[in-house]
Amino acid sequence: MGTENVGNDVVSRENFQPCAEDIQRWMANAFDMAKDALENGEVPVGCLMVYNNEILGKGRNEVNETKNATRHAEMVALDQVLEWCRHRDLDPRTVCERTVLYVTVEPCIMCAGALRLTNIPLVVYGCNNDRFGGCGSVLDIPSADLPHTGSSFKCISGFRGEEAVEMLKTFYKQENPNAPKPKTRKE
Amino acid sequence: MEPQPKRRKESECDFDSWVAYPVLSNEQSQDTELIEAFAAPIINKKETSRLIKELAKVYPLPGLLHIKRVRSCKDKGSPHPLEVIVCLASDAPVIDHSKDMHISDLSSSGRLNCEGLGDPFLVKIPACPPLTRPQFEQASKHWPTSFHEDKQVTVALKGQLFTSSQKAKMQEYMMAAVAAARAGQQSGMEAVGAAVVDPEAERILAVGHDCRKGGHPLHHAIMVCIDLVARGQGGGAYTYDKYPACQSVLPYSSPSQKQGASTMTTCGVVQDGDSAEESGQPYICTGYDLYVTREPCVMCAMALVHSRIGRVFYGTASTDGAFGTKYKIHAQKDLNHRFEVFKGVLGQQCEDLNRPVPYIKMNS
Repeated sequence: MGTENVGNDVVSRENFQPCAEDIQRWMANAFDMAKDALENGEVPVGCLMVYNNEILGKGRNEVNETKNATRHAEMVALDQVLEWCRHRDLDPRTVCERTVLYVTVEPCIMCAGALRLTNIPLVVYGCNNDRFGGCGSVLDIPSADLPHTGSSFKCISGFRGEEAVEMLKTFYKQENPNAPKPKTRKE
Repeated sequence: MEPQPKRRKESECDFDSWVAYPVLSNEQSQDTELIEAFAAPIINKKETSRLIKELAKVYPLPGLLHIKRVRSCKDKGSPHPLEVIVCLASDAPVIDHSKDMHISDLSSSGRLNCEGLGDPFLVKIPACPPLTRPQFEQASKHWPTSFHEDKQVTVALKGQLFTSSQKAKMQEYMMAAVAAARAGQQSGMEAVGAAVVDPEAERILAVGHDCRKGGHPLHHAIMVCIDLVARGQGGGAYTYDKYPACQSVLPYSSPSQKQGASTMTTCGVVQDGDSAEESGQPYICTGYDLYVTREPCVMCAMALVHSRIGRVFYGTASTDGAFGTKYKIHAQKDLNHRFEVFKGVLGQQCEDLNRPVPYIKMNS
């Protein structure tokens, strides 16, 4: 019995594939969130968490606002998903296992870890994140051998990637008023 | 500075019972990589300086500046007291291995005047400059190399970086993390605890424990602590009021607090922390130390990078740990913030947290 369940579980995770039309629609929504971040002086990353065609969570960076450097769009949206589950008394794991993350930029190493820990099966993203990317750019967390860190997940990248990069460039051209002045690096 | 009032018993264990070892980068901790080269004895000592000059032209060794071209043979009875690296095996012409090799095989069509050289033989030489004393000692067994010793790293590797009074402080901070872990365990959480410390002011700023069970699957002790620090700075995203053992304290930023506070020495740390203090405003976890009972997972490790943590101290390793076991996030190339990590602080007490709860406590 137990083995059978695990087997089914794997099949459902593997077959999880939204159609192009859905991807376009949800990514447009994620980009709106990223724009909102930019307008509020945050790193322009936006995301959406979709379960059964329903948006359970929406997030954008809230790092400066909360003075907490871990408040990335994905973490914010995951909180909403968990809240949604709490309200309906649903097990977060069973919901997350069928939830897709749409995000404008490749999740960072931390967020990729968080996505594993919450058992999100699929991530659709725009551009790569050369600074912190955890889905292949700096490290490859989704497929890493981490048996005690949730489940591995799949990634689909390249949706409106250039647009996502442009937004990041716009942001980094401005100075982050909250960051300390960088010191010259000693080698 | 007035010491913080504390209720905790510090005599619970002796700080000679543990040693904090640095978690070094792979480059610093891996075995010396070796490459093959041809060396030859110098049979006429008078030719030495000419040979060195010519070899540098004919067979330069780019990227091997740490290699000393000539070595003196330890065996004093040897007829030829000097040996020289002629060229890398990969730079040598293809040689008929059925015959014994002759030095003229390496003359590079006569560009090298082989006079004064004996017949060549294969040696293995270190491919990279040694970064630590153990690497240097290993490398030197193969061929002499130069070594720019970082004395702090050498001392740290011996487990002697911290003085007794520093260890007493470190123990106090880790005890706070252990106590938080125990408190979390009492409310059904996994026994993991963490504390964020301002090492200049010698103050604990936040203490937290694992808060996953029944609440939030990402509320690992470190994530809790990071948010508690944010709360202490007027931000924060969560409340942990249900958990009395999770607490934050407002950081001091007045300069008088720093006077007389002994700054712990560190080895070669890339700390961009001073600028926040210059402006008088703390910025996330810049310049702070984190104490955690066990090695952080990859999410928490990267959260500490984002938070610009100063240093990290943990008790015991964990299976998927990201500060030494599976990754070395603190030494990861490409990331814009690097810091020192030490393991083994109060190792036994932290290890004990992994044991099942004593059943008297379970029944209470």
